[in-house]
Amino acid sequence: MINVLWLRSSLLSRAIVYLLLIAAAVFTLIPFLWAMVNSIKTSTDTFQPGAVIPFVNFQPTLDSWREVLSDPQATNAFISSVVVSLGTTIFALILGVPAAYALARFRFPIGGADITLWFLSQRVLPPAVVLVPFYLLLVNLGLIDTWTGLIFCYSTFNLAFAVVIMRDIFRDVSSEIEDAAKVEGATPWQVFWKISLPLSMDGLVVTSVLIFAFSWNEALFASALTSQSATTFAALVLASRSTRGVDFNVASVNTLIGIVPPVILYFFVQRYLARGLSFGAVKG
Amino acid sequence: MTAVARRRREYGGRFKYALLLPAVIWVIAFTFLPVLSVIRYSFANYVLGEGVTGYVGFANYLDVLTSDQFWHSIAVTAIYVAITVPVETILGFIAAWLVNLGAPGSRGFRTIIGAPLFTLEVAIGYLGVTMFSSQGGVVAVALSAIGIDVPWMSTPEGGLAAAILLDIWRWTSFIFLIVLAALSSIPSDLYDAAILDAKSHWQVMWRLGIPLAWPVASIAILLRTIEGLKVFAIPFALTTGGPGTSTQTFSAMDYLTTIQFFDFGKGSAMGVAFLIIVSAIITVFFRQMRKRLD
Repeated sequence: MINVLWLRSSLLSRAIVYLLLIAAAVFTLIPFLWAMVNSIKTSTDTFQPGAVIPFVNFQPTLDSWREVLSDPQATNAFISSVVVSLGTTIFALILGVPAAYALARFRFPIGGADITLWFLSQRVLPPAVVLVPFYLLLVNLGLIDTWTGLIFCYSTFNLAFAVVIMRDIFRDVSSEIEDAAKVEGATPWQVFWKISLPLSMDGLVVTSVLIFAFSWNEALFASALTSQSATTFAALVLASRSTRGVDFNVASVNTLIGIVPPVILYFFVQRYLARGLSFGAVKG
Repeated sequence: MTAVARRRREYGGRFKYALLLPAVIWVIAFTFLPVLSVIRYSFANYVLGEGVTGYVGFANYLDVLTSDQFWHSIAVTAIYVAITVPVETILGFIAAWLVNLGAPGSRGFRTIIGAPLFTLEVAIGYLGVTMFSSQGGVVAVALSAIGIDVPWMSTPEGGLAAAILLDIWRWTSFIFLIVLAALSSIPSDLYDAAILDAKSHWQVMWRLGIPLAWPVASIAILLRTIEGLKVFAIPFALTTGGPGTSTQTFSAMDYLTTIQFFDFGKGSAMGVAFLIIVSAIITVFFRQMRKRLD
């Protein structure tokens, strides 16, 4: 949608707006372009001043790409990341969305805002602090180095997002529609499941993407709580330093491969971002 | 209480607790119980393989609070947050305001500027090593071409500055997307009214955009502050805390203490001490937030 401000702007201010936007885009794109260039360099060319343009300044090679794509460990880690991130998203929503709905719709002896903040407060815990108890807990449950263990762990951290964001979304759903359904004799569960939830689909999609992206990105817990079979892609990238020193060309390939799944999701849900992310705060 | 509210309260009944309690129980089981055990370990002497061998009172705390490394990591984290959060907020807001003008091509800009949020921080950290390298790194070379020569990877200040730049690159997108969402839901008649009053574009942004985006932006700032205080991946991947331990953030230090050296007692004491410091900061924020959530 074109803003009235834009329509009323002079040619000069329009030019300034474009200049600033282009500057922002360039700033954003540089690391991506750099990763692309580096992913087709040899390790000797990586730290070679002036090796910028493929074919002109250096001879490109697909070795790093081959190395990553043919490495079964990388493939496994990639699959782990997808499973864990999806599992976390689903599990955190199953726990968080009903709670968010309850906090948006019903009164509790303790205020809804306080309970919401209580959920948020657990995000304040520095990850390294809960690492030890989580580690021992998962050892006791026999869930060390499993997808389930990581999903439990990540769901705990992401529950707060699900509750905080979805509570605001549900508060935006008109209670008149719900009241009408109640008059028709719908049970509270039916009101939630068949009316409020479908009306909040856009918020739900955005929350899912955020949780997916956060789980996908997490490396600290993943490297501490997994050793081999459930290692995620982020943990594998992090560990590459200690196993053989950082291979910066492989790191570039990993940067590019690592962004693919969340970005695919991002493209799909862009049009939902506008409402979901506003936390329902600005109402038109 | 209004009649409607009273009816709702009765209407909820057991149902509302059935919805809320699973999440509450989960958080208690997986957050508050672990925290209790962290507090226990912080007073214990923990030996790997044997578990808790005895309690040492405040000895772990004394160790931590008198260690320069602890306070240094707190200082590094504080500097990191104090720079990244305001810069990301300002840049994210400006970018969102410009994209929200809806000029032709805005969608493309939105896609690009939002993309860094979906990258892997550890990979970005490693990529940063090559970008800031004095031997052909794109950032180092470009800046040195305009006369800015910074020993990025060889000094504490340079390493921290590089990590901060990468963090700004990675997380401005978060503020951007959230503020953009808030701005795009401002109804256009509000702009019409604001334009009549205001002398400049700048004034419209100042009087309309900032106040309307603020409630949402404040949540974004809070989340960024919380995450920033826990920062680990980007600086750790970029510098491994070096040279020496000069750029070690708190999370990186705690991670190395507990996971690499398996000193659970000291690592836990560190965590609790940090938590107490952080809680003081976050409580101020939460007071602000509480008003917003009601």
